[in-house]
Amino acid sequence: MDPEISNFETEMNRGFLQILVLALLEKEMYGYSTVRTIQELGYEVEENTLYPLLRRLEKNGWIKSKWDIRKDRPRKFYSITDAGRALRAELLGFWKKQDKILKHLVEEKSHV
Amino acid sequence: MFEKLEAYLEEISHFLSGREERMEILSEIKSHLLEKTEQEHGKVTEASIEKVIAAYGPARRVAEKYMDGHQIIAPAFRRYLFRYTSFLFAVHLLITAVAVIFTKSFLVFPFLFVPRMGVFEAIFYLPTAFLFDLGVVTLILYFITRSKKEIQLPWPKFAVDLDEVKRPRRLILSGLGFVAMLGLTGFALVLYIRYHAIFFVNLNFPEPRLFFTPEAGKWFSLGVIATLAVGTIALFVKLFASSPWVDAVQNGISLIIVGCLFRLPLDNAIAISLPGRFLHQIKFSLTFILFFISVVVAIDFVKSLVVIGRKGLAKQRQER
Repeated sequence: MDPEISNFETEMNRGFLQILVLALLEKEMYGYSTVRTIQELGYEVEENTLYPLLRRLEKNGWIKSKWDIRKDRPRKFYSITDAGRALRAELLGFWKKQDKILKHLVEEKSHV
Repeated sequence: MFEKLEAYLEEISHFLSGREERMEILSEIKSHLLEKTEQEHGKVTEASIEKVIAAYGPARRVAEKYMDGHQIIAPAFRRYLFRYTSFLFAVHLLITAVAVIFTKSFLVFPFLFVPRMGVFEAIFYLPTAFLFDLGVVTLILYFITRSKKEIQLPWPKFAVDLDEVKRPRRLILSGLGFVAMLGLTGFALVLYIRYHAIFFVNLNFPEPRLFFTPEAGKWFSLGVIATLAVGTIALFVKLFASSPWVDAVQNGISLIIVGCLFRLPLDNAIAISLPGRFLHQIKFSLTFILFFISVVVAIDFVKSLVVIGRKGLAKQRQER
């Protein structure tokens, strides 16, 4: 892929991934299972990008985490907080607005 | 424990700060890598974990993702780094000039100390002063960035306009460079004709003290004059024809000259009488300067060869 296009894709993905994670973490999940779920949804995510994102969301209080050490391998589980739900609603609002504008523009162009 | 995994985590840890945060990040990466290896390869072995680590990415890149948004200097302040450093260095330069002319030292505690010095010491002092100024400004901008406050940094309006001055055209730059180099070469030549040297300890004309002994001074002076002359000719040619060959030839000749200067023996080359320790330091400094110049010229030489090669390839492609 053209490096310029790849840069655009990375920028667009950043915002989308945040909404996606906030939507997924309604159910408690650990890092690896989140990666797998996202991949099963047909979306490519770099694992080394997801963990820093989870960390940022947690630092801002939008998600919370806890270590589960009951099994032989410790796992860090994440879930959304009330502040995260409010943020998700706002982000979805932005996304719908952007989607509407783009659809309108594309349709307008196809009529010309 | 798995050696490859431990080594990888340790490499990442070198780039991360904050003990607690570092431990937390590393635990999570470790948990992920082990889980992924088990899920995708069935069994965790050194070989299988190595494949998973390779897919996860180089340690530095992984660590950098955690630093996203953490900047040493905010982009809005980057311009101020050069503005303030230039300003501070201009002040430093002025005070140094005063210190040299009036042979006095200046102290503005704790910000500035300019010792009493001669011209020769000032030449060595100024690069250090520049690095100091750059460091001070960087440190201040770093703390301002960390504070995350809305701070309006002072800078006069006319100076902002100066920032926006358009760069003179290449030809004008070459012309100015040529005139400056011609003047410099001419001046060096006049000095050489008069004193058979261009390196002096003091500026007590018409009888300045020589830095090198007559024989060594002759060759060092001729070497520098020849390098200046080659630079002048190159700039003159560039006024009429811009070609990477001009740079390549200039750098090639300069490299040969610097190589010849390198071969000159430095023992008994210094004319001033100094204690052995200082003499040794001066010789070391001279060797270092010659080495530094040769590295810079060599890089430029390789760069011009690469440009020539690239142009050649592009031409071949066009012909096909």
